[in-house]
This record gives sequence, C-alpha cells and structure tokens, in this order.
Amino acid sequence: MAGRLAAAPGVLFVMFLLVVLFAVLRPVFLSLPNLIDIGLQSAILLIIAIPQTMIILSEGIDISSGAVLSLCGVVLAMVLVAGGPVHLAFLAALATAVGFGAFNGALICLVGMPAFVVTLGSLGMAEGIAEILTDGNVVVGLPNGFEAFYSAKPLGVPVPILIAALVYLVAHVILYHTRFGTYVFAIGGNREALMLSGVPARWYHIGIYALGGGFIAIASLLLTARMNSGHPTVAIGMEFDAIAAVALGGTSFERGQGWLLGTLLGVLAIGILRNGLDLLMVPSSLQGVSVGILVIVTMLIDRRGARVS
Amino acid sequence: MSASASAPSRTVSGPAWGPDVLHAVYRLAAVLLLSLVLSFFSHAFLSWGNILNVLRQASLLFLIASGLTLVILTAGLDLSVGANLGLSAGVAAVVMHATGSALLGSFTALTCGAVIGLANGIMVARLRIPSFIATYGMLWVCSGITYYFMGGGAIYGFPAGFRALGTGYLFRVPIPIYVMVAFLAAGTLITHRTTFGQDIFAIGANAVAARLSGIPVRGRLVAVYAISGAMAGFAAIIYLARVDSAEAGIGEPLLLPAVAAVLIGGTSLFGGMGGLFGTMTGALLLTLVLNGMNLLTIDANWQPFATGVIVLLALLIDTITRRHSERRA
Amino acid sequence: MEPAETTAGQAARGANAGPTSPLLELAGISKRFPGVRALEGVSLEIRAGEVHIVVGENGAGKSTLMKILYGAHHADEGTIRFQDRPVTIASPADARRLGIAVIFQEFSLVPFLSAAENIFLGREFRGPIPGTVDRRRAIREARTLLRSLGFDLDPTIPVHRLGVAEQQLVEIAKALSQKARILVMDEPTAALSERECAHLFRIVRRLRDEGVAIVYITHRLMEVMVLGDRITVLRDGRKVAELTPKETTPDDLVRLMVGRPVKAAFERRARFQPGEVALEIRNLRAPSGLEDINLTVHAREIVGLAGLVGAGRTELARAIFGADPISAGEVRVFGRPAEETPSECVRQGIALIPEKRKEEGLALIRSVQDNLLMSALWRLFPRGWLRPRTAEAAARDMVDRLRVATPSLARPVRVLSGGTQQKVVVGKWLSAGCRLFLFDEPTRGIDVGAKAEIFRLIEDLAERGAAVLLISSEFSEIVQVADRTYVMYDGRITGHLTAAELSEEALLRLAVSHE
Repeated sequence: MAGRLAAAPGVLFVMFLLVVLFAVLRPVFLSLPNLIDIGLQSAILLIIAIPQTMIILSEGIDISSGAVLSLCGVVLAMVLVAGGPVHLAFLAALATAVGFGAFNGALICLVGMPAFVVTLGSLGMAEGIAEILTDGNVVVGLPNGFEAFYSAKPLGVPVPILIAALVYLVAHVILYHTRFGTYVFAIGGNREALMLSGVPARWYHIGIYALGGGFIAIASLLLTARMNSGHPTVAIGMEFDAIAAVALGGTSFERGQGWLLGTLLGVLAIGILRNGLDLLMVPSSLQGVSVGILVIVTMLIDRRGARVS
Repeated sequence: MSASASAPSRTVSGPAWGPDVLHAVYRLAAVLLLSLVLSFFSHAFLSWGNILNVLRQASLLFLIASGLTLVILTAGLDLSVGANLGLSAGVAAVVMHATGSALLGSFTALTCGAVIGLANGIMVARLRIPSFIATYGMLWVCSGITYYFMGGGAIYGFPAGFRALGTGYLFRVPIPIYVMVAFLAAGTLITHRTTFGQDIFAIGANAVAARLSGIPVRGRLVAVYAISGAMAGFAAIIYLARVDSAEAGIGEPLLLPAVAAVLIGGTSLFGGMGGLFGTMTGALLLTLVLNGMNLLTIDANWQPFATGVIVLLALLIDTITRRHSERRA
Repeated sequence: MEPAETTAGQAARGANAGPTSPLLELAGISKRFPGVRALEGVSLEIRAGEVHIVVGENGAGKSTLMKILYGAHHADEGTIRFQDRPVTIASPADARRLGIAVIFQEFSLVPFLSAAENIFLGREFRGPIPGTVDRRRAIREARTLLRSLGFDLDPTIPVHRLGVAEQQLVEIAKALSQKARILVMDEPTAALSERECAHLFRIVRRLRDEGVAIVYITHRLMEVMVLGDRITVLRDGRKVAELTPKETTPDDLVRLMVGRPVKAAFERRARFQPGEVALEIRNLRAPSGLEDINLTVHAREIVGLAGLVGAGRTELARAIFGADPISAGEVRVFGRPAEETPSECVRQGIALIPEKRKEEGLALIRSVQDNLLMSALWRLFPRGWLRPRTAEAAARDMVDRLRVATPSLARPVRVLSGGTQQKVVVGKWLSAGCRLFLFDEPTRGIDVGAKAEIFRLIEDLAERGAAVLLISSEFSEIVQVADRTYVMYDGRITGHLTAAELSEEALLRLAVSHE
C-alpha cells in the first residue's frame, strides 16, 4: 500500500488546489447540489475509465472506447425505439461492445499489433458503423420510462452514482481478489513470466479488452437514459478523459504499475475541473485543453516525486 | 570463425536503392492494377477530370502524411496532424480575412503548424512522454482551441491568387500535383541523401544504439516532430486554397487516412523502415479506393469504416512481416 | 572464503549417497541452430540429493542445455529419461510436470506484484467465491516458505522494491512451492555480494540434503570446487569431462574449459610507451552507484577495469561517455572537460563499445554499411550531405580491415554471427576518429578465434596512439591483454595493479571485498 500512496501526491495535491481555487472563485462550487452534479457527470466517465485502467495496466491502450460507447448508445436506442424490451436492448449493446473488445484484443494479443493503432482503426470502424446506422441523425423516440430511470433516486442517491459505485466495487474485487486481476498486473509487468508459469496469458489478455466491453455497455445504458436519445458521436472524445483520468491517478503506461483508486481520484479531479470551468463560463472546447494541461502537470509532479525518493 | 579471404564485399546496388526500388515498383504496380480494376467497374473513372481529382486528393493526403512518415520512421506517432491542419487552417483563414494578404496567411499557417510540431517534439524528446500520449493530447488541445475561436461558423472567400495554389493548373496539370512531386523529391533526398535522414532511420531501428553511437537523438526527434507539424501547416495552406473555406472540425477526420497512407506505403510502425515514396503510393491507393467507392455510389458514411479496415489490414501485414523477420534474427 | 560443510551435512550426504539411479538422464543430446552447433552428443545424469555443476565458457552450450531441460528448445537428437522412462519435454508445462524448476539469470518476476503473488503465480489458492483468490493464505504460506529459506521477508512488498538477492529468494521459494525435484540455477551468484553468496550456498546445500537434485550452471570456479558434488565440463557444445571436485583443481578445470593452456590463447606482441593523459577522472560520484572514482588512462595504454558483475564498471563507462549523469567530480578527456551527452562525447573522440551488442550497439534491421557508418557520418559528411560512393568505400574499407564475414554490405546485420556482429560494433568506431576507446566486455559470447582477433585489434589501436579502457569479467583476459588494471567492487575502485602485480588471484581478491 505504501508503494501506491507514493504515487498519490500528484493527483491529491492537484485536486486540493482545484477545490480551493474554485471555491474561492465561485462559492456555489461547494454547495451540495453542485457536488452531486459533479458526481453525476463523473459517473459515466468512471465506468469507462475502469476498463481503461486495466487495459493500461496490461501495457495497452484503447482509444476506441468513446466511439464504441456512442455506437452502443445508438444500438440501445434503436432497439428500444423499435419496441424491444430493455434487456434485449442491453444485450445488443453488450454484444456490440464485447465484440469490439474481443476484436481489439485478438489483434493486439494474438497478432501482436500495437494497441494504439489497432484501436485507432476500430475507432474509425465504430464511428463508421454508427454513422451508417443512423445516417448521421439522432435516434429519438425512446419509451417514456427510460429517462426516468436515470433521474431516479433510490434511498436518496441518484441512480448513476449508485451504479458507478457498484461497478467500482465489482472492479475492485476483480482486480484485487481474482486471478484475472492478478494476471492483469502480470501481463503488464512481465508477460513472459506469466506464460512461463503455465498460464495461457493470451486469453486473459484478450479477456481484458472483452471485459471492457461489458463496462462500456453499462455506461451506454446510463448515457442513453441521460440523453433520452442515441447520438452517433456523443461520446467521441470521452476516451481522452478516461485515459487522462488513469494517467492522473498515477497508473503508469508500462510495467503494470498502478491502482484503481487512482483512477477514481483522477475521474473526480477531471469532474472537479470541468465543473469549475463550467461555473467560470469557460467554453467546453477549452476544457479539453485544460484537462490536457492538468495531466501534463500531474505527470511532471509525479516524476519529480519519483526522482526525489 | 569462418575464414573470408579479404572479403571483396559488394552491394547489390547503391545503399539507397536496391530492395527499396523493387518494393517501389511493386507498389506502383498495385496502384496501376487498382486503377485498372476500377476502370472496369465504372466508366466515369477514366475521365480526365476524375483522374485529376484523384491526383489532387492524393496530393493533399500525401502532404499531411509526409511529415507523419518521418515521425513513424523514428518509431513514433504524431496523432495531432489532422487537428494541427484544422487549427493552422483556421488561424490562417482569420489572418487572411483580416489582412487580405495571402502571404501573411500562408506564413501564419506554416508557423502555427511548426509551433505545434515543436511542442510535440519537446514533450516527446525532453519530457519523455510517450509519443502517442503526447500527440494524442495535442490533438485535443488543437481541436479545442480551433472550436473555441471558430465557433460554429465558417470563413470563406480567399484571395484569387492564393486559390490558384489549390485549384490552378500549370500545363493542364493541377498545381497541387507539382507541389506533391516537389515535396516527394525533397523529402526523399532528405531521408536518403543526408546524415539527418540516416539518423532518423537509425533512431527508428534502435533508439538506444543510436544514442550510444553518438547520434543526437533528442535533437533529431524535436526536428522530426517540428517538420511533421510544419507539413500539416503547409497542407493547411493547400487545403484552404482548394476548398476556399475554413471551419472547425475539418482537420480531425484527416488523421486516419494519413496514417493509412503511411502504413499502406510500407513504412513500418515499429520504426526504421520505409520512406516517402511508399507514402505517396499509399496516398494514391487509399484515394483510389475511396474514389472508387464514390463512383460506385456507396454511401459516404462507409468511408471512415473502410479507412479503418484498411489501416488494420496494413498494420496486420506490417506486424506479421516484422515479427517474422525478427524471429529469424 | 567459503566455510567447509559441517560434518552433519557430510554425514547426511553419506546416508543419501550410494548407487542411486539418476532422476533425469539426458543421452546424446544435440541441438543445432542456423550456422551454429550449440550441443553435440551431450549426456548428463541428474541425481536426487546431488549438486551437479555444469561449467563452461560463454558459448559452450550451457544455456542451450538449460533451455532443453525446461522445454524452451527441443533437442534435434538424443533422448531424455525420467526415472528410467523416456519422456519428452516439449514445453515449460511438461518440465513443470516432471518437477523441473528453473531460476533464470533475469528473474521472471512481475515487478509490481507482491512476493506472495509472484510465488503462487498461476497456482493461486481459491477463495470463497469461485474466481476469487485467497490472498491471506498465499501470504501465510509465502511467509513460511521464505522463513524456511532463512529470510524473514514481508511477502506483501512488491518485488521491484526488493534487492537482487531477495528477489532470487522469491524465485527459489517459487520453485520450492512447486515441489520441484530438480532445481536448475543459471549463474545464480552473478549479482550477489559475498555474504549473499554464502547464504545462497547454505540454501543450496540444505535443499540438496533434502533430496532435491540441483543443476547449477556457473563459470565461477571457486563455487564449483566448494559446492559441487559432480562437475560436467562443456566446451564448444560437447561434454569434455565429468568429475568430482576431489578429482580436479581449478587449473585443470580451466584447461578443460578452454582446451589449451590459457596462456597460449592470446599474447601481447608488445607493450607501448604511454603517451599523454587521455582520460583523467577525479572524485567521481554518480547516481548510478559510483563513489569516489579516481582513474587515469594514457594514450597507447590498455588499461583494464576488472570486477564482478554489478561492480559498477559499465556504469563508469557510461558516465564517462555521457550516457548517464554525474553528480560530482571531474572527467577530463585529452586535457579538456568531458562533455555530458553521448553525441558530444563522440565528437570529443570517445568511443563506447557496449556490453549488450544487440540491444545497444547495433540496429539489427539496418545493413552492415549503415551500422558501420552510424557513428562516423558526422565526420565523413560534415555538411550533412551524403555521398553514396564515399560512404560505400568507407564501409568496405572497414569490412576489409576487420575481415567482417559478410557477403555484402547491404545485408541486415541481424543475419551475422555473434563474433561478426561484434566486429561491426567495433568497426563502427574506427572511422569516427576516436582516440579513447571504452570496451565493455568486448569478447562476451564470441568464439575463441574471434576473441583473439578483437584483442589484436585493441592492441593495434593502442599502437596507433589510442587510449583503451578494457572492461572484462574474465580475469584471464585482463591478465593477458592489459598493461595495468583497476579493480572495482560495489561502485568503488578497490585497487590498482601494474603489469607485474597482475594475476587472476590478485584480481579476484580485490574484486570481492572492500578491504
């Protein structure tokens, strides 16, 4: 645990600064409704940042998750609009996401192609399919109950936050209490060693990407409910925030070093940043720039910290 | 140790050609073959207008992809080239509209592109951020800034002289093609006939060995990313000249085709192998495929999908050939 | 020096000794690679409760043999019998099933997993819910295992934070947890301190007494005499002897390993009058682990830098070359302060021939010509413009001078043999106009003939006025080639020997302790 804490200072330090900064500039920042809003905005990002964490821990990366998320939203919406029941729609989205995940995984793990360009290619493919399916339009006309599901508040906690918390817990168990999770670290840290230990590492490696599909499908459920429509390009770019969150949290792109809690902190940091910038009326186009700068600053802090120790 | 009686060693031919020439011939043959096939499927293909159109498109794609080729030769990636073009084009358009000067606008585009490239280079070479992360972040930075100052509107109407760059002809051949040939020639000279070029190949083949051989790796990397950015800026000029308008979002979709052109052209993503001639044939092949899809009235929405598939296929071939040759080592 | 084994140990062994049939028997094993005969008709008997040491020079076939034992390679000819039954070891899984565990030189540990997780990697204990692991049990069992090896290590620490010796213990614990009956250890003491070596030997002996068969691969003759029950000597892929320590001496072993009296392998033609000061280091300290280094090399001198693996010699060479940063002290090259990056150092006339030639010295996919000119382009073509014919001529000149065995200049260097590749690495620097050469293990992994050529080349360089710093772990080489030698241990210079004082024994003494 101590080793992991040493990686924390960057993101915690930065979060603290941001909170103080925004609280001073816009006191409404610290109000409860606003804080809940941050949680709501962060929920979907957390759900897709979690599989990204596992992928990056295994020395991979996935830049297609935003496009695949949008595609899943479209698929979900189309099935619902066509009158299909929710579980069928979800299954369709799940099949799509897991399909893309397995596809990515197969090319990366079985053939050995570099993860970045593989997911760049599948990003194009996913985006293309979404455009073809919708002909560029937004899918509307979802059944009434669906949107209500997003704004429900069982036990006073909004559904998105509940689901995100649940997903996080499940991910924590998977990563830290199952063989699969151990192998995630092993594949990133020393894949050879894992194979020499007799483990069919390739299949676990593909599994990491396929599992990610499951998370994306859940996120698409929330996303489509929130927007009450299926938009082919809505989540394009969200993978950038997800990768940024993982990097902010201190997970490294090599050697299987990192932690899930760091990603949660990174997601919150980004949520705080975007929320604060919104309050300051900074247009969303510049918010991406700020996220990028945040990541660079945090990485530099962590690197200085590592050099000192 | 096998005895070699004072080995009179001989190369097949000079160092820059040889097997490379053979591969270049194969690629040109592929282009011609594809053209032949397309002409069967569509009568409109062989019209002079269409061929010139294809060449013009390919030229623009080549220009963007040329700097990217150099970066990929060093086993790096510059994912910001598309967004870079978009930003440079936007800034240049604003300047041209405000001052009416095409010269100033062009200069702005080049500078903007080069500065972005320089920033990439510094992140990769000095801050040691992996190139795909650094340039991916830069992609979003450029994109964001472009959307910020362009908003949803478009700028159009540029000076006529300027437009000639993109739409004009010289001896019945569109000017962009001359530009492409000029840069192809210049670029090939740089990669094969300068120490800079040889350093680039060495860095891509083995960056550690290159450094320990006295090659100033960091300096070369910064230069290579700066060139890539500058080429994106230059391509922005040609783009503006042809399309005569600028708006946010024109650049991002160009990344995937640019990467495809480089990969199809045989430049290996793993570094150390490839060249600009390949990228040119790659640009031609990709443009032919997309052109063919247009002529066959396939829904334009399929194009990003098709490009994605092509990238993956080209990468598949690259990975398999590279792994195969590595196993023989 | 190693304490002799206790009488109790001897007695236990006496009880186990006697006519036992071998646990694992290799007969007539041959393995060929393109262009190289790695093993020819090697037979080996591995017995339970015995430490069987395999010695040989680099390239003798030790690692190939080991790889066949654990299933990474398949023998082209020969049979393997386990408890008198013929078996095939086609994969690491097969080896594991037979109870063969291997401890490699480069450890196969996952850096950011804990020791416990590493020990039970692939064989995790099942937790209450299907799919989960029982971490607490793994930690408990790991702690017990590590204690039995004499170390009270916290099994929850991620292994990247452990020292080399501790990591090795984790590896051994991992093998033990697999109930290994045959433990293969590949150069296990390469990076250990004297105390850690002693501890390792205790563990090896205890395992042997408990009936484990140990195959111990090394080139350190002291260990062979002290630890071995049975010794197999390999040379050029063949088994040339099988003995017990009582039947032989270190000198005999050397003779068997080398094939001829060591002295005849290479002899200096002449020693030269030292010229100006080429390299002067004062009070150097570096974050890479160097402390208080003071050293001088003159032109026309071949100065050796001896020591064991991990002594800091490569780090020193890299610091001189600008590849690693320096925190204090002075380095002066030909009277001027040394530059701080490799590219500037090259332009000052310094050359570094790195230890790992494939990873750090060559661009394998590039041609012979490209590799030969990599360091010299700036000098041959100062204005940046390449002239193909000049380049080709320069490369050809180097090929002729060094007699590089290649059919053409355009071949990628990866197809060349190890010795030829090393010549390319050296040749790379000859056209760069360097006057200070830092050789780091230049003859590692090369056959004897090529070694002699490299040494002759080094001598030539010195004769023509260059200054040479020669790093080598082979003390015999240093004794033959160097004019005088510094010895390093643990990041410091522990001594300096002139040609008269130079002997393998003296070197070893300085290389293993501070005093």
